[in-house]
Amino acid sequence: MTSPAITELLDEAIVQEIADQAWTALVGEDEVLVPLPGELPADTLSAWVAVVGPWTGSVVLTCGRETAEQLTRALLREHAPAVLDDEDVADALGELANVVGGNVKAVLPGPSALGLPEVGVAPRAVASADTCRVDALWRGQPLTISVQGAVLDAVNADPSYGNGVPL
Amino acid sequence: MRALVIDDSRAMRRIVSGTLEGFGFETRQAGHGQEALDVLHEGWVPELCTIDWNMPVMDGLQFVSAVRSNPGWRAVTLMMVTSEGEHGQIVRALAAGAHEYVIKPFTADAIRDKIALLGLLPQEMAL
Repeated sequence: MTSPAITELLDEAIVQEIADQAWTALVGEDEVLVPLPGELPADTLSAWVAVVGPWTGSVVLTCGRETAEQLTRALLREHAPAVLDDEDVADALGELANVVGGNVKAVLPGPSALGLPEVGVAPRAVASADTCRVDALWRGQPLTISVQGAVLDAVNADPSYGNGVPL
Repeated sequence: MRALVIDDSRAMRRIVSGTLEGFGFETRQAGHGQEALDVLHEGWVPELCTIDWNMPVMDGLQFVSAVRSNPGWRAVTLMMVTSEGEHGQIVRALAAGAHEYVIKPFTADAIRDKIALLGLLPQEMAL
Protein backbone atom coordinates (compact mmCIF):
# COMPACT_ATOMS: atom_id res chain seq x y z
CA MET A 1 0.00 0.00 0.00
CA THR A 2 1.35 3.42 -0.93
CA SER A 3 1.47 5.91 1.88
CA PRO A 4 -0.33 9.18 1.25
CA ALA A 5 1.60 12.36 0.45
CA ILE A 6 1.48 14.99 3.15
CA THR A 7 -0.30 17.40 0.83
CA GLU A 8 -3.23 14.97 0.77
CA LEU A 9 -3.40 15.05 4.58
CA LEU A 10 -2.94 18.67 5.58
CA ASP A 11 -2.28 22.08 4.10
CA GLU A 12 -0.31 25.19 4.95
CA ALA A 13 -3.24 26.74 6.81
CA ILE A 14 -3.32 23.85 9.29
CA VAL A 15 0.42 24.01 9.89
CA GLN A 16 0.24 27.78 10.31
CA GLU A 17 -2.61 27.43 12.82
CA ILE A 18 -0.66 24.86 14.85
CA ALA A 19 2.43 27.05 14.81
CA ASP A 20 0.39 30.11 15.81
CA GLN A 21 -0.95 28.26 18.86
CA ALA A 22 2.53 27.13 19.85
CA TRP A 23 3.89 30.66 19.47
CA THR A 24 1.13 32.29 21.49
CA ALA A 25 1.35 29.78 24.32
CA LEU A 26 5.10 29.29 24.48
CA VAL A 27 6.86 32.25 22.92
CA GLY A 28 4.48 34.93 24.18
CA GLU A 29 0.88 36.01 24.14
CA ASP A 30 1.54 38.88 21.74
CA GLU A 31 4.02 37.03 19.55
CA VAL A 32 2.78 36.46 16.03
CA LEU A 33 4.01 34.56 13.05
CA VAL A 34 3.33 36.63 9.96
CA PRO A 35 2.76 34.30 7.00
CA LEU A 36 5.21 36.00 4.68
CA PRO A 37 8.34 34.52 3.13
CA GLY A 38 11.74 35.93 3.94
CA GLU A 39 15.26 34.99 3.01
CA LEU A 40 16.92 32.79 5.61
CA PRO A 41 20.45 33.85 6.55
CA ALA A 42 23.43 31.65 5.70
CA ASP A 43 23.88 30.60 9.33
CA THR A 44 20.74 28.63 10.15
CA LEU A 45 19.75 26.13 12.78
CA SER A 46 17.10 23.44 12.38
CA ALA A 47 15.23 21.38 14.93
CA TRP A 48 12.95 18.52 13.98
CA VAL A 49 10.97 15.56 15.21
CA ALA A 50 10.25 12.41 13.25
CA VAL A 51 6.74 11.11 12.78
CA VAL A 52 6.45 7.39 12.03
CA GLY A 53 3.12 5.92 11.03
CA PRO A 54 0.80 5.73 8.03
CA TRP A 55 2.65 8.89 6.95
CA THR A 56 6.34 8.97 7.82
CA GLY A 57 8.53 12.02 7.77
CA SER A 58 9.59 14.90 9.92
CA VAL A 59 8.45 18.30 11.10
CA VAL A 60 11.35 20.70 10.71
CA LEU A 61 11.69 24.19 12.16
CA THR A 62 14.48 26.27 10.60
CA CYS A 63 15.61 29.80 11.40
CA GLY A 64 18.73 31.91 11.65
CA ARG A 65 20.97 31.25 14.64
CA GLU A 66 20.31 34.73 16.01
CA THR A 67 16.56 34.17 15.69
CA ALA A 68 16.97 30.86 17.52
CA GLU A 69 18.66 32.70 20.40
CA GLN A 70 15.86 35.26 20.54
CA LEU A 71 13.29 32.48 20.51
CA THR A 72 15.11 30.82 23.40
CA ARG A 73 15.04 34.02 25.45
CA ALA A 74 11.35 34.52 24.67
CA LEU A 75 10.57 30.94 25.65
CA LEU A 76 12.48 31.08 28.92
CA ARG A 77 11.39 34.61 29.81
CA GLU A 78 12.70 35.50 33.27
CA HIS A 79 14.23 32.03 33.59
CA ALA A 80 16.70 32.67 30.76
CA PRO A 81 20.33 32.62 31.88
CA ALA A 82 22.38 35.79 31.33
CA VAL A 83 24.50 33.96 28.79
CA LEU A 84 22.82 31.36 26.59
CA ASP A 85 24.92 28.38 25.64
CA ASP A 86 24.43 26.24 22.53
CA GLU A 87 22.63 23.61 24.59
CA ASP A 88 20.03 26.13 25.80
CA VAL A 89 19.32 27.17 22.22
CA ALA A 90 19.20 23.62 20.87
CA ASP A 91 16.93 22.56 23.72
CA ALA A 92 14.48 25.44 23.25
CA LEU A 93 14.32 25.12 19.46
CA GLY A 94 13.95 21.35 19.85
CA GLU A 95 11.03 21.80 22.23
CA LEU A 96 9.30 24.18 19.83
CA ALA A 97 9.72 21.61 17.04
CA ASN A 98 8.43 18.94 19.42
CA VAL A 99 5.28 20.89 20.27
CA VAL A 100 4.54 21.78 16.65
CA GLY A 101 5.40 18.22 15.55
CA GLY A 102 3.21 16.62 18.21
CA ASN A 103 0.24 18.68 17.13
CA VAL A 104 0.90 17.98 13.46
CA LYS A 105 0.99 14.26 14.30
CA ALA A 106 -2.37 14.58 16.03
CA VAL A 107 -4.08 15.67 12.79
CA LEU A 108 -2.46 12.91 10.70
CA PRO A 109 -3.92 9.43 10.37
CA GLY A 110 -2.74 7.28 13.24
CA PRO A 111 -1.48 5.51 15.07
CA SER A 112 1.80 7.34 14.68
CA ALA A 113 4.79 7.77 16.92
CA LEU A 114 6.80 10.87 17.59
CA GLY A 115 10.58 10.78 17.85
CA LEU A 116 12.71 12.83 20.20
CA PRO A 117 13.72 16.30 18.99
CA GLU A 118 16.97 16.56 17.03
CA VAL A 119 18.89 19.70 16.24
CA GLY A 120 21.44 20.36 13.53
CA VAL A 121 21.38 20.11 9.77
CA ALA A 122 17.81 19.29 8.78
CA PRO A 123 16.97 16.11 6.91
CA ARG A 124 16.45 16.98 3.26
CA ALA A 125 12.97 17.07 1.81
CA VAL A 126 12.33 14.31 -0.74
CA ALA A 127 9.76 15.75 -3.07
CA SER A 128 7.65 18.86 -3.13
CA ALA A 129 4.52 16.69 -3.39
CA ASP A 130 5.34 15.25 0.01
CA THR A 131 6.27 18.55 1.64
CA CYS A 132 4.01 21.13 3.22
CA ARG A 133 6.02 24.23 4.03
CA VAL A 134 5.09 27.41 5.83
CA ASP A 135 7.31 30.47 5.52
CA ALA A 136 6.79 33.11 8.16
CA LEU A 137 8.31 36.13 9.79
CA TRP A 138 8.71 36.40 13.56
CA ARG A 139 9.73 39.84 14.76
CA GLY A 140 10.58 40.50 11.12
CA GLN A 141 12.97 37.55 10.92
CA PRO A 142 12.34 34.61 8.60
CA LEU A 143 11.72 31.06 9.67
CA THR A 144 10.26 27.99 8.01
CA ILE A 145 8.21 25.06 9.22
CA SER A 146 8.36 22.11 6.90
CA VAL A 147 6.34 18.93 7.21
CA GLN A 148 8.24 16.67 4.87
CA GLY A 149 8.24 13.04 3.86
CA ALA A 150 11.18 10.89 4.86
CA VAL A 151 13.96 9.79 2.58
CA LEU A 152 13.33 6.05 2.62
CA ASP A 153 16.83 4.98 3.63
CA ALA A 154 16.80 7.50 6.47
CA VAL A 155 13.98 5.73 8.25
CA ASN A 156 15.01 2.92 10.53
CA ALA A 157 13.16 -0.29 9.67
CA ASP A 158 12.55 -0.94 13.36
CA PRO A 159 12.56 2.49 14.92
CA SER A 160 12.70 3.11 18.64
CA TYR A 161 13.15 6.07 20.92
CA GLY A 162 16.63 4.91 21.76
CA ASN A 163 15.56 3.56 25.13
CA GLY A 164 14.14 0.37 23.75
CA VAL A 165 10.64 1.74 23.50
CA PRO A 166 9.29 0.92 20.07
CA LEU A 167 7.86 3.83 18.15
CA MET B 1 2.76 21.29 48.15
CA ARG B 2 5.60 19.70 46.25
CA ALA B 3 5.82 18.97 42.53
CA LEU B 4 8.30 16.99 40.48
CA VAL B 5 8.57 18.28 36.90
CA ILE B 6 9.71 15.57 34.49
CA ASP B 7 10.65 16.59 30.97
CA ASP B 8 13.71 16.05 28.79
CA SER B 9 13.58 19.69 27.69
CA ARG B 10 15.36 22.03 30.07
CA ALA B 11 13.33 24.92 28.71
CA MET B 12 10.05 23.14 29.36
CA ARG B 13 11.14 22.13 32.86
CA ARG B 14 11.88 25.77 33.63
CA ILE B 15 8.52 26.91 32.23
CA VAL B 16 6.44 24.29 34.07
CA SER B 17 8.40 24.73 37.30
CA GLY B 18 8.03 28.51 37.11
CA THR B 19 4.28 28.15 36.58
CA LEU B 20 3.88 25.77 39.53
CA GLU B 21 6.07 27.88 41.79
CA GLY B 22 3.76 30.79 40.97
CA PHE B 23 0.96 28.67 42.43
CA GLY B 24 2.96 28.09 45.63
CA PHE B 25 4.56 24.72 44.81
CA GLU B 26 8.05 23.74 45.83
CA THR B 27 9.51 22.03 42.77
CA ARG B 28 12.27 19.68 41.70
CA GLN B 29 13.10 18.63 38.17
CA ALA B 30 14.06 15.41 36.39
CA GLY B 31 15.17 14.94 32.78
CA HIS B 32 13.56 11.52 32.30
CA GLY B 33 11.51 8.88 34.07
CA GLN B 34 14.40 7.03 35.67
CA GLU B 35 15.83 10.23 37.12
CA ALA B 36 12.38 10.97 38.53
CA LEU B 37 12.12 7.49 40.08
CA ASP B 38 15.51 8.10 41.70
CA VAL B 39 14.09 11.25 43.32
CA LEU B 40 11.12 9.29 44.68
CA HIS B 41 13.38 6.48 45.97
CA GLU B 42 15.49 9.10 47.68
CA GLY B 43 12.38 9.92 49.76
CA TRP B 44 11.32 13.19 48.12
CA VAL B 45 7.76 12.14 47.34
CA PRO B 46 5.71 15.02 45.91
CA GLU B 47 1.96 15.54 45.80
CA LEU B 48 2.16 16.12 42.03
CA CYS B 49 4.31 14.90 39.15
CA THR B 50 4.03 16.57 35.74
CA ILE B 51 5.24 14.15 33.10
CA ASP B 52 6.31 14.51 29.51
CA TRP B 53 5.69 11.46 27.31
CA ASN B 54 8.61 11.22 24.90
CA MET B 55 11.85 11.14 26.85
CA PRO B 56 15.10 9.20 26.61
CA VAL B 57 16.07 6.44 29.09
CA MET B 58 12.53 6.04 30.51
CA ASP B 59 9.49 7.62 28.92
CA GLY B 60 6.50 9.10 30.68
CA LEU B 61 4.22 6.11 30.24
CA GLN B 62 6.82 3.77 31.76
CA PHE B 63 7.24 6.19 34.65
CA VAL B 64 3.48 6.28 35.30
CA SER B 65 3.35 2.46 35.32
CA ALA B 66 6.35 2.28 37.68
CA VAL B 67 4.80 4.74 40.14
CA ARG B 68 1.44 3.00 40.05
CA SER B 69 3.07 -0.37 40.76
CA ASN B 70 4.39 0.93 44.09
CA PRO B 71 1.60 1.17 46.73
CA GLY B 72 3.77 3.50 48.78
CA TRP B 73 3.38 6.16 46.09
CA ARG B 74 -0.38 5.87 45.61
CA ALA B 75 -0.93 9.40 46.95
CA VAL B 76 1.15 10.93 44.17
CA THR B 77 -1.01 12.67 41.55
CA LEU B 78 0.26 12.13 38.02
CA MET B 79 -0.40 14.68 35.30
CA MET B 80 0.87 14.19 31.77
CA VAL B 81 2.10 17.41 30.12
CA THR B 82 2.97 16.43 26.58
CA SER B 83 2.69 17.24 22.90
CA GLU B 84 1.17 13.76 22.34
CA GLY B 85 -2.38 14.84 21.54
CA GLU B 86 -3.77 11.73 19.86
CA HIS B 87 -6.90 10.43 21.56
CA GLY B 88 -5.45 6.92 21.75
CA GLN B 89 -2.38 8.17 23.60
CA ILE B 90 -4.51 10.04 26.13
CA VAL B 91 -6.51 6.88 26.78
CA ARG B 92 -3.29 4.86 27.22
CA ALA B 93 -1.89 7.31 29.74
CA LEU B 94 -5.10 7.47 31.76
CA ALA B 95 -5.41 3.69 31.66
CA ALA B 96 -1.85 3.37 32.96
CA GLY B 97 -2.73 5.51 35.95
CA ALA B 98 -2.30 9.16 35.01
CA HIS B 99 -4.95 11.43 36.57
CA GLU B 100 -4.91 14.30 34.13
CA TYR B 101 -3.59 15.17 30.71
CA VAL B 102 -2.42 18.56 29.41
CA ILE B 103 -1.47 18.94 25.76
CA LYS B 104 1.40 21.26 24.84
CA PRO B 105 1.25 24.09 24.05
CA PHE B 106 -0.52 25.11 27.24
CA THR B 107 -1.13 28.33 29.10
CA ALA B 108 -0.51 28.92 32.80
CA ASP B 109 -4.29 29.14 33.20
CA ALA B 110 -4.71 25.66 31.71
CA ILE B 111 -2.25 24.24 34.26
CA ARG B 112 -3.98 26.14 37.04
CA ASP B 113 -7.41 24.79 36.00
CA LYS B 114 -6.12 21.21 35.92
CA ILE B 115 -4.44 21.33 39.32
CA ALA B 116 -7.52 23.03 40.78
CA LEU B 117 -9.58 20.17 39.36
CA LEU B 118 -7.21 17.74 41.05
CA GLY B 119 -7.67 19.58 44.34
CA LEU B 120 -4.02 20.56 44.50
CA LEU B 121 -4.30 24.32 44.18
CA PRO B 122 -3.59 25.98 47.53
CA GLN B 123 -6.83 27.48 48.83
CA GLU B 124 -5.54 31.05 48.77
CA MET B 125 -4.64 30.64 45.07
CA ALA B 126 -8.06 29.22 44.23
CA LEU B 127 -9.84 32.39 45.37
